[in-house]
Amino acid sequence: MSTLKKFGRFDRFDFLTYPAVLFVFLLFTWMLAVYVTSSIPAFQREGWNVYFTNVWNASECPDKEYYGILAAIWGSLYTSTIALLVALPLSISYSIFVVDYAPKRLKGILEITSDIMAGLPTIIYGIWGAFFLVPFLKEWVMMPVYNYLSFIPIFSQKPVSGFSFFSAGVLLGIMITPFVSAVVREAYTTIPHTYREAAYSLGLTRYEATKILIGYVKPAMISGTILGFGRAIGETVAVSLVVGNAFNLSADPFSPGYTISSLIATQYGNSFIYTHMTSVLYAAGLFLFLVGLFITLLGMYVLRRWKKNVSI
Amino acid sequence: MYQFDMRRIKEYSFLGVISLLSFFMIFPLFHIIFTVFVDGIGTLVSTGPVFITGTLDDGGIGPAILGTLILSFFASLIGIPIAFAVGVYAYEYPYSVIGKATTALLEITQEFPTILVGLFVTQILVLPMGTYSAIAGAFALAIILMPYVAVYTKEAMSQIPFSFREAAFSLGVTKVKTVFLIIAPIAKRGILTGLLISVAKVAGETAPLLFTAGGLYQTYPDSLTQPVGAIPLLIYTLVQSPSPADHAMAWGASLVLLLIFLAAFIPLRLSIKEVRM
Repeated sequence: MSTLKKFGRFDRFDFLTYPAVLFVFLLFTWMLAVYVTSSIPAFQREGWNVYFTNVWNASECPDKEYYGILAAIWGSLYTSTIALLVALPLSISYSIFVVDYAPKRLKGILEITSDIMAGLPTIIYGIWGAFFLVPFLKEWVMMPVYNYLSFIPIFSQKPVSGFSFFSAGVLLGIMITPFVSAVVREAYTTIPHTYREAAYSLGLTRYEATKILIGYVKPAMISGTILGFGRAIGETVAVSLVVGNAFNLSADPFSPGYTISSLIATQYGNSFIYTHMTSVLYAAGLFLFLVGLFITLLGMYVLRRWKKNVSI
Repeated sequence: MYQFDMRRIKEYSFLGVISLLSFFMIFPLFHIIFTVFVDGIGTLVSTGPVFITGTLDDGGIGPAILGTLILSFFASLIGIPIAFAVGVYAYEYPYSVIGKATTALLEITQEFPTILVGLFVTQILVLPMGTYSAIAGAFALAIILMPYVAVYTKEAMSQIPFSFREAAFSLGVTKVKTVFLIIAPIAKRGILTGLLISVAKVAGETAPLLFTAGGLYQTYPDSLTQPVGAIPLLIYTLVQSPSPADHAMAWGASLVLLLIFLAAFIPLRLSIKEVRM
């Protein structure tokens, strides 16, 4: 012990745990460093065009190679937005239903189901999406929309395969719903019972009471939305199986596209036969890294501020 | 009277919409389980036990199952000790600067896109080694495993009443003994359950294995520095193939993966109150 005492206020507990904590921080920094250094060649060669152009010239002649991942960035944002449009109404309704209205036994089943959905291997969503959801959506959503609403410009193209931004967005929406609802549900549970009693004592109907109570958890809903967006933008295999994997900068939701993660998943394996592609894919990874980091921090910040300031 | 009726209509339509949307939220899971069973059971029955033990040429996924076990085992071996220490640290110092930063980092890494972990490990392990390997795959999975284990550890220990600590300190027990020999054993159940849930979650990951584990389905793996297969990775490869026979294999493998997952997850989930994914 005498040697340890030299370190002043550090004790054996710190000696046991600090290295692990240090390792985790170093690992994260190392990861960021690897992405930065690996993508430098791409920035040196193309500058910001890596992010702001939509070209993909993979060529055996290194001089002709040129890459821009704008289509993938667009696809990531587009599919994640569709995912949120699907997930938000579902998760908010689910949270209200589970906390306030579900009978006790049903409540347990609903909670377990939601947890299973959160933990289910994403590849199972992927195979279901590719073989069931895509044909289903094409038959029952895309074709009817095309048949009846094709006068709207973004629906004017006939859906070809069904593999599209829309399919990926819906699948992502199903996948992130349990995560969004976990945040909303947790916040909604914390509203004290006296608030509900007060609302009902005024003679409000359940609809009117819920309308008031839901106002208290709005920041949590925003935070859940942001975190859900982060989950959606980082999801890889399930998306790459249904998004169609094509460089496409179109607003047509029924056309195939790429997302950043599906671009990496499909292109990285054979990028080594080209001279400059690997670096571009690391630049794409860096973009995902920074966007993911920013979104998560933002979501955490909103949630923390709400937890700190909320006076219930 | 009109006013009253309007409120009733709103009330009932509200309840109807809420229940319907809640149903829609969980419906996909039941449909997924149903579809995987219906489409996978045929492959499983027609191939028989060979499906579990045989190599891909025999029409089985044996090497993939063994690969998933190897990867999960070594990911746990690498990840759990570190994650446990980090979780204990975050529990012990929730308000210090490093403690807060650690908790934030854990939350960030839980949300982190898993494909990026895979690419990182490719750069630092696969390229220097010159080959895909089981150890690279396990390391990638370990990175993803760590934040989950740490957060579960922290939360399980935070459940223990503060008076236990006070009692220990009042008897002159040191901090390290209090935490590791008193609090941790009391919180054992929560820690273990969280640990197993994390491993179950990580065993189903695909993206981090894409460019690290490599895939090996024709023979059984015999070395940690050689490529290894995994069930999710095999499914991903098979789904992309154009041949219907491969699709049938993919459904069969999905059924196996789903059964393993449900068999591990449901009992664990029932034994604790809530999970964080």
